[in-house]
Amino acid sequence: MFDIIIRSATQRKVRSGLTVSGIALGIFALVVMGAMSENFNQTFENSMSLTSDKIRVFAESGMFGGGLTDDKVPDVKRVPGVKDAYGILLTTFDEDQMGMSGKQIFALPPEKSRIALDPVKLKAGRFLEPGDTYQILVGTSIAGEYDLQIGSKLEIHDKNFTVIGILEYTGSFFDSTAAIPLETAQDIYNLEHSLSTIFAVPEEGIDSDILAKRIELNVKGTSTLSPRELQEQASQSLLIFSVITISSALLAAIIGGLSVMNTMLMSVTERTREFGILRAMGAETKDILLITLGEAALLGIIGGLLGIGIGSAAVYLINLWLAGKGIILFAITQRLLVVALLFATVIGTISGLYPAYRATKMSPMEALRYG
Amino acid sequence: MDDIILDVRDISKIYMQGKIPVNALHDVTFYVKKGEFVSIMGPSGSGKSTLMGIVGCLEKPTAGKVIIDGIEVTSVSDGQLPRIRREKIGFVFQHYNLLNSLTALGNVELAMRFSKVSRQERVERAETLLKKLGLGDRLNHRPTELSGGEQQRVSIARAMANWPAIILADEPTGEVDSKTRDAIVETFKLLKSRGQTIIVVTHDPDVAKHCDRVLRIVDGTVVDSD
Repeated sequence: MFDIIIRSATQRKVRSGLTVSGIALGIFALVVMGAMSENFNQTFENSMSLTSDKIRVFAESGMFGGGLTDDKVPDVKRVPGVKDAYGILLTTFDEDQMGMSGKQIFALPPEKSRIALDPVKLKAGRFLEPGDTYQILVGTSIAGEYDLQIGSKLEIHDKNFTVIGILEYTGSFFDSTAAIPLETAQDIYNLEHSLSTIFAVPEEGIDSDILAKRIELNVKGTSTLSPRELQEQASQSLLIFSVITISSALLAAIIGGLSVMNTMLMSVTERTREFGILRAMGAETKDILLITLGEAALLGIIGGLLGIGIGSAAVYLINLWLAGKGIILFAITQRLLVVALLFATVIGTISGLYPAYRATKMSPMEALRYG
Repeated sequence: MDDIILDVRDISKIYMQGKIPVNALHDVTFYVKKGEFVSIMGPSGSGKSTLMGIVGCLEKPTAGKVIIDGIEVTSVSDGQLPRIRREKIGFVFQHYNLLNSLTALGNVELAMRFSKVSRQERVERAETLLKKLGLGDRLNHRPTELSGGEQQRVSIARAMANWPAIILADEPTGEVDSKTRDAIVETFKLLKSRGQTIIVVTHDPDVAKHCDRVLRIVDGTVVDSD
């Protein structure tokens, strides 16, 4: 029966081609938007796995509200169950781009750089050490974009820094991070004693949720995010992002599906007499359904494969272009490709249901008289 | 009466044309014996095609019974009708009704697909039939590459493909010249000589004169049988 389906689809080349293009366009949008969403998910998951052991302590007014200062670090460290604590200052790397590139300055006490970045390994050089001032440790994306080697100079906020270490690729926000000594950052940004966050490392075997609450109770003017809470908060944000991106792509794909329905309705009407002949020859309802739905599904599959191919190629080329700027915007994953192809097939098949139903409801006698 | 292959008893068919009932057939009764070559003649609108549709299990009568090869087809469910059409009936249409996307071989083979015949057997049987009907050199030609007579012979081969109990031919010579008409009649006579039952609806007395019997139908009822 498969040869009949293929022959029927290829008999009307222009129409089938246009329908396949409609589906392909929808799936292209799904792949591109989905790849963007997947990249955010992956980056987030990698970032989480690299910092999941630490409790974040903020000023009660929030991360950007100000008010968190150096003097809170010893208070946090004194809370029973806290193994270590250190403050960090986060700011944008590229002030002229308003931080749109996603790159960030991660200012931290030099002696804590090894713990703060753990388990990220060094690709070259060393971590920050006590006594460092205008030394900088960079992630792979920044190193690639600015062509940095150990000993290279990098200007941050009109000050020259010397690259002393390059981090290994992690697929997380660390790739777009430049770490500098905290005091230097506070100095050059005129943010004396200010911190964005305090990281609290729990002792082994301590429940981080309970410890987070204990920190809030013991250190006045602070709020905390345990690793679990952070995960929940970020997952919600990611979900909203995914829903917006994927639903816009789904809309495009559904429009593609409507073009399949239109094509199949025209095809079924044109083939009324053919269906009558098949019925006269003893074709059963399921045979007619198979031929009609098979053609719709085939158009969906071809459109899906085409959309996936073009979408993947586009994503690859954009990633390649952005790699020079140290940005990875898309991630093509196996699940995205499977979902895209399944969606194309399902939308093709569903769009063929009504035309197929009409084909099976034709009286054989009337179908034979048609046209 | 063991040799009766088609028994039509008191068939009526009423269509609704809007709200007006139209009596297309009424009280039609006749029979056809195994191996008979019978023609149904009548003027346009007399109900011939409706009768063919009912005998061919393409539609059901409003009243009456049709028994084909011992099966009362008018009482079986709609779901069983395709199997009866596959096993008992072979259709030959006036306009050939071949699928242009398939070759002659493909068209004949198609009829056996729904009967779950293996691909190898389908091809062998289709080739044999087409060769017997003088189309051995036309197996891979599409309908658009064949003459009217050749197309009708492909159509006859297709009707024969499942070895049906009855071949129902609706104006099979309606679109061909006299030479081709004679060739088609000869084909039917050849099939009859091998025991095939054939019912032909025709306007053409030159076709009817070759038949064993002629049923005349006027205003929806059989008026004469000779």
